[in-house]
Amino acid sequence: MTRFIFDLDGTVTKVKILPLLADHFPIRKEIQELLQETSEGNTPFVESFIKRVYMLAKLPIDEVRNCISKIDLCDRVVAFMRSHQQNCVTATTNLRCWVVDIEERTGCPLFCSSASEFDNHILKLTSILKKENVVQRYKSEGEKVVYIGNGNNDVEAMRTADVSIASGLVSPPVSSVLSIADYVVYNEEALCRLLNQLIEC
Amino acid sequence: MVESKKSVVISCAGLGSRLGLATTKALIKFNGVSLIGLQLELLREVEDIRVVVGFQANDVIEEVKRYRKDAVFVYNHDYFNTKTGASYYLGAKDGYEYAVGFDGDLLVHPDDLKKLLDTEGEWIAYADRSSDDAIMCKVNGKGDVLSFPGREGDYEWTGPCCIHKGKLRYSSGHVYNLLEPYLPMKGVLVRACDIDTYDDYQRAIEFVKSW
Repeated sequence: MTRFIFDLDGTVTKVKILPLLADHFPIRKEIQELLQETSEGNTPFVESFIKRVYMLAKLPIDEVRNCISKIDLCDRVVAFMRSHQQNCVTATTNLRCWVVDIEERTGCPLFCSSASEFDNHILKLTSILKKENVVQRYKSEGEKVVYIGNGNNDVEAMRTADVSIASGLVSPPVSSVLSIADYVVYNEEALCRLLNQLIEC
Repeated sequence: MVESKKSVVISCAGLGSRLGLATTKALIKFNGVSLIGLQLELLREVEDIRVVVGFQANDVIEEVKRYRKDAVFVYNHDYFNTKTGASYYLGAKDGYEYAVGFDGDLLVHPDDLKKLLDTEGEWIAYADRSSDDAIMCKVNGKGDVLSFPGREGDYEWTGPCCIHKGKLRYSSGHVYNLLEPYLPMKGVLVRACDIDTYDDYQRAIEFVKSW
């Protein structure tokens, strides 16, 4: 069986989640600084993610969730996922309490990080998803794993997968992803054609 | 009869070192248009274009995207140690049932290319000798390709070719090395120009003007 693991941000979603939140909540300056530091490679992804969580922890969970629940998704990618629900999952380091609605919108299981909550706010991070563990899990079950991603936190998962596809649907994949990817695609038509070919291989 | 689905694999991973223009051959210009641009114009009806990239990958990708945003780019990360056989295999292995292999340094006359794309099943294309540095093929009376004897033979092996992807294996060698186990194969004579050296490039410029 072929297992497709999709990164969420900029692969399934049509826009990046963090800039979207920056537009909706009074944290634009902090988020811009964090994005700048991370994109310049000055802050490792895990450090950046932890900072992000505690930045967003000031906001009510339901408001963040509501904002993300309305995010535009890549129509063709979601159509592929919905028509191959047994084969597809999404993997994101975002917290489950923020992104849980994506599961219903794609019809596919979602692997994410988690946090304890109190009074509609994040109390503390309890686990950070290592996407490569999701790849290992399915590989150990004898599945052929195809991973689709675009960011620094996808590199290890892509390196571990049987087939890795860099997604340039929303923004150019980072260079570390391109240095190990088997494929790179820049529109949904190309990605879905490739996915359909891979499921038949 | 249901037509088999084909992918077209364009191998653009190489260094282009024999040409001596310090650029991968896909990016050399013909009257302001890149070689890969010319090829993609001729292949515009093909649904599944797979471009194998290596040397100058980012430049090739940007150029291809100007013509085909829906192309699939395939990485040959080991382009420095491999030849076109590796790129053809990597480009074909996850594609449609049949894979047309097309070198990034090849120009085929538009009429002949259309004929090739309409040809069902497996085939090998060859041309009258034009290159300074040609690998030749031996052909029988029906036009089938019998062997690739090297520098001596009836016609120049230019490609393209088309073979079932299941027959391809990873190889650091040339495309014709991948085809050899399956000879004899149906052959098609085409007007084509393979660009390996600077003189080939000059001939190719005249060839394009003659279309």
